[in-house]
Amino acid sequence: MEKWNGFCEAAKNSSWKVKLSAVVMGGGQLLYGCWQKGLVYLLVELSVLYYFITRGISDLVGFFTLGTQKADPWTGTAGDNSVVMLLMGIFAWIVIAVFLCIYVSNLKDAYAIERRVKAGEQPISFKAELAQLLDRKFYITALALPVLGVCVFHILPIVFMILIAFTNYGGSIVPPELVDWVGFQNFAQLTTLSRFAPTFFRILGWNVVWAVLSTGLNYFAGLGLALLLNKDCVRGKAFWRLFPILAYAIPGFITLLGFKFMFSYGGPINQIIRDLGGTAIGFLDLDAKWSARLIGLFVNCWISVPSIMLLATGHLSNRDMTIYESARIDGANRWHQFKSLTLPYMIFTTTPVILSQFVGNFNNFGIFYFLRGGLYMDNYFLASDTDLLINWLYNLSIDNNYYSIGAAISLVIFLITSTISLAVYVRSAAFREEDTFQ
Amino acid sequence: MKRKWLSLMLALAMVTSLLSGCGGGNSESGGTGEQSPDAAPSSTVQNTIFNGELEQNITIRVLENDTVIAKGYFAELIDAFNEAYADYGIVAVDANMDQYLDLANDGPYGYGPDVLYQANDIIMQYAEGKHVYPLPIEQLECYDQIPQSAWDAYAATIEGTEYYCGVPVNIQAPMLYYRKDLLPENWESEWDQDGDGVPDMTQRWSDLLAFSQARHEGDKNLYGYMKSLDDVYFSSGFLFSYGAYIFGNNNRDTEDIGFAAGEAEKGAWVLSQLASAMNEDCIDSTITTNAYSRMADGTYFATITTPDVYSTFIDELTKTYMGEGLDQAAAEEKAVENLVMTGLPKLPESGDLSDESAGLIDSKAMGGINGYAISAYTQYPNACLAFVEFATGYDMIMKRSEMLGIAPARADAAQAAGETSQQLFDRLEQGNIIIMPSVKAVGQIWTPGQTFFIDLAKDVFRPESEKKYTDLSAMKQGLEEMSQQIYDAIHTLN
Amino acid sequence: MKQNRKAGRVVDSVITHIVLIVVCFIFFFPCLWLILASFSKSGSIYSFRGFFPTEFSLDTFKKLFTDTTMYNYPKWFLNTLVIALGSCVLGSFLTVLTAYTMSRFDFKSRKTMMKTTMILGMFPSFMGMTAVYLLMTQFGLINRLWGLILIYSAGAPMGYLTQKGYFDTIPKAIDEAAKVDGATNFQIFRKINLPLSKPMLVYTALTSFAWPWSDFILPKLLLKEKDLYTVAVGLMSLDETEFARFAAGSVFIAVPIVVLYFSLVKNMISGMSAGAVKG
Repeated sequence: MEKWNGFCEAAKNSSWKVKLSAVVMGGGQLLYGCWQKGLVYLLVELSVLYYFITRGISDLVGFFTLGTQKADPWTGTAGDNSVVMLLMGIFAWIVIAVFLCIYVSNLKDAYAIERRVKAGEQPISFKAELAQLLDRKFYITALALPVLGVCVFHILPIVFMILIAFTNYGGSIVPPELVDWVGFQNFAQLTTLSRFAPTFFRILGWNVVWAVLSTGLNYFAGLGLALLLNKDCVRGKAFWRLFPILAYAIPGFITLLGFKFMFSYGGPINQIIRDLGGTAIGFLDLDAKWSARLIGLFVNCWISVPSIMLLATGHLSNRDMTIYESARIDGANRWHQFKSLTLPYMIFTTTPVILSQFVGNFNNFGIFYFLRGGLYMDNYFLASDTDLLINWLYNLSIDNNYYSIGAAISLVIFLITSTISLAVYVRSAAFREEDTFQ
Repeated sequence: MKRKWLSLMLALAMVTSLLSGCGGGNSESGGTGEQSPDAAPSSTVQNTIFNGELEQNITIRVLENDTVIAKGYFAELIDAFNEAYADYGIVAVDANMDQYLDLANDGPYGYGPDVLYQANDIIMQYAEGKHVYPLPIEQLECYDQIPQSAWDAYAATIEGTEYYCGVPVNIQAPMLYYRKDLLPENWESEWDQDGDGVPDMTQRWSDLLAFSQARHEGDKNLYGYMKSLDDVYFSSGFLFSYGAYIFGNNNRDTEDIGFAAGEAEKGAWVLSQLASAMNEDCIDSTITTNAYSRMADGTYFATITTPDVYSTFIDELTKTYMGEGLDQAAAEEKAVENLVMTGLPKLPESGDLSDESAGLIDSKAMGGINGYAISAYTQYPNACLAFVEFATGYDMIMKRSEMLGIAPARADAAQAAGETSQQLFDRLEQGNIIIMPSVKAVGQIWTPGQTFFIDLAKDVFRPESEKKYTDLSAMKQGLEEMSQQIYDAIHTLN
Repeated sequence: MKQNRKAGRVVDSVITHIVLIVVCFIFFFPCLWLILASFSKSGSIYSFRGFFPTEFSLDTFKKLFTDTTMYNYPKWFLNTLVIALGSCVLGSFLTVLTAYTMSRFDFKSRKTMMKTTMILGMFPSFMGMTAVYLLMTQFGLINRLWGLILIYSAGAPMGYLTQKGYFDTIPKAIDEAAKVDGATNFQIFRKINLPLSKPMLVYTALTSFAWPWSDFILPKLLLKEKDLYTVAVGLMSLDETEFARFAAGSVFIAVPIVVLYFSLVKNMISGMSAGAVKG
């Protein structure tokens, strides 16, 4: 409301020069003698116009129609590729959004200049403004590139995926077939799959247990290892640290394949068991529910601990050691120091890490796909008892090319996980009291 | 209006192409399209695409199988082709891409090959989305030499018309591999009851089982026939032999899943009897991967796998013989002499491998036809067709067979390539090779199938009290559950 | 009393070392297994007795680097190195910049941005792969190494929260002091905060190098030509009978990360413990 009032006032008070900026971006700036800035704004407007004339408008139209002419390579008919049209449509929307931001800043800027001039001051020079970008407004300079990158390579695909959930893309409807908007049909179909419910809850239960256990295990093992290596009595820290680093250096999927082989019937472990006169054990086979789960936990730990150790080492070296000294003088033993100094500090600095670890583990596709893929168990609908939701999602949709249903399911899963983690994050000390450990 | 004009153009193009005649097309086959009125539009589409005018001074990218490249055949093929077509300036090169590349994904954006060699089920999935061109197969020199059953693997009905979208090169089906030098000394007296000079254990599964048990009894470290059960491709053949099928209506009706049909449970029983003479390695894919070295060191006597890995077995066995002190040439000769690749043994009608007197039936097996297809995104269809024509010619197929041990789909080459190839060719003709379905849904049979076979194999090693598959009806039920899972996987979200 | 304490320290030290040896063994054993397998003479994993091969030779490594007709490992290695180094430099830079800005500046949309990035990280990533592939076809960046560098570096700032947590622990008092002396924000970042956060820089550099180094999905999606493969993709395309070569390739892939680690290790401990600012 306040903003609106401000806007009305500005609209009333400003001269035609500012209003010129509303039509020709940078016009006001030019008239007030800030020609560099005016030119920049003008250039932005021209290039956006150019983009929309050459392809932007047709991209926007394509966003709604998703194509009208079906391609037929056999007759050489060049048709519409619905998914590309969807993607480029989203891109056009992003361009519009960015343009609007610049447009508003252009108006604000013209108004600000006018106010300065009316007050009898010189407009801020272009040089001074550039200098500001390195100082007071350094954050704009710093964030411009990362935000752009994230928008194009993260937000765009995610928006694309969300929108896919409202189309019929997938199955036999993939380019060159034309895709259409279907509204909430995919979600309606999900609710009819009531016989999925038992499988869903069974998998969800295990998925939560898995995420909590593996996050806890990885975190404390990594922290413990870092603390251990941080002890004064340990000499040659670089050497000791090399071993986890070595484990870290080998790509995850190779590790997974290696462990799978180790625990297979023909693997070295079973070979030794047989040589000792025992019978082979199916560590990962059909009947091996809990041994497979435990192996999964262990292997995941093996893969994740090194990087957490590295991180914790960095954070530990950043502690203020004077507090520890006074704590020692006060007679606090090691356990007390750990419990009341190190742990709160670490939890505080690494809350985001723990959360992203949790989410990463919750959605850990690779572990059981590589270790124990390709099994459908009794009592599970097209899933095995080690599969996580994401594996199930893969079996149900991607494996079948049902992209739209897959997108709908993952949207539902995403809504659940993100609500939980956002709630935790917003309540966490790391988010609310960023200055705790200053 | 526009439509009419288009069809006129197409008709015109057809006429011109008929008049000009295509490279290697023989005069007879040019006329086959006219026999029925329905076939006319199909040849129209193909002949518009393949107008017979070779594009000149161009490069076509060919995607081949990795083994073919590794064994050096591919280099010979493109060299020979490039020499033959040097006058036109057509150069074929290695597409240099992943052999399992997905044309449907990469082709439309221009990142696929022009010509590709893949299995029929893969190529036909592309055909559904029109990612590969329909081919004027009657024009090809190999047309008459390749049996209809092989062409059928590449037939697709699209928009009401039947098209052929690939050219068969070789037949892929399980073969029995065994070591001749591991036969017992007295096999001619003990293991050749019918006196035909061929060891019985390579002719009948019941004898192979008996021999496996005997060999394992003699030395606990040795085994007879070994094969991982988890591989649906190989295991499902036993089900087919007793009446099972994949999809109904010639593998096109995905509503009808036939893994439990007929007396399929007998096939499951045979598998479980065979597994009882193996060890736990048959539960997962261990034996599939270690068969090469275990056959070479003599631990296993026999296994089944496809003909295209023949050379890998020979390499391993050669290494063993060289370890025994032979030189390279002698070792290789001995390996070729002792490693026998032959057709599958016969099965007892009753499914009981201990029943010597039972009537015998042929083993069926799942198989595939690998072949060439032409990407619909190529700019040079005629040059591509010329390449396919060249590569499927008698000479090149013979060379391919010599260098790789594959079984040609051409009748003349199959006959010339030797007994094994001929056998495989005959099995195809007799309908004992169940060609993999050409519909997308076939991708959903593997996981449910694998789960069932693993369960079946595991059952052999479960304690008596925990066994699930104690009789035929339990196996039937297991198969029905597996079929249901396949059905669910295909149709739940469709 | 003194004696007792000393004894306690010795016991503590012994226990610490025993635990360390056990942990390091757990980490090292599978690596050792891979290393020895890569020196196996037979090349087949099934000729091993127990965990280790019976005969050793250098042939596999020789083959890995010389026999390049089918599997051009040296080329893959070079490709991976280019991608990983590019992404490491660009990605670390962007990440640190983002983290620092989010930690030090207070602007309107800051909290929103923090929450948004938190949420964005939760999307099951493989669903977005189709879009990434389409996007790259539209930009003409398929079969381009720097297309991958672009994606990895653009994705790196998403993980800025870790680094931000670190910057949050560096007292702002130093900044204030510098500001009084007339330093600009950019100078403060470059001359004061950056040197103080070496351990974090090492961590960032290592992780942003290691991710592209061992990633399989993106290169598989975006690099179609065999000559452009990265090591991870190339190794996956190896034939199943080539186990020793697979092992050799997997072992060698670890070398650059270990080298990187050694060259950065002296910077792992620094910053506050050195006593830059106290009180």
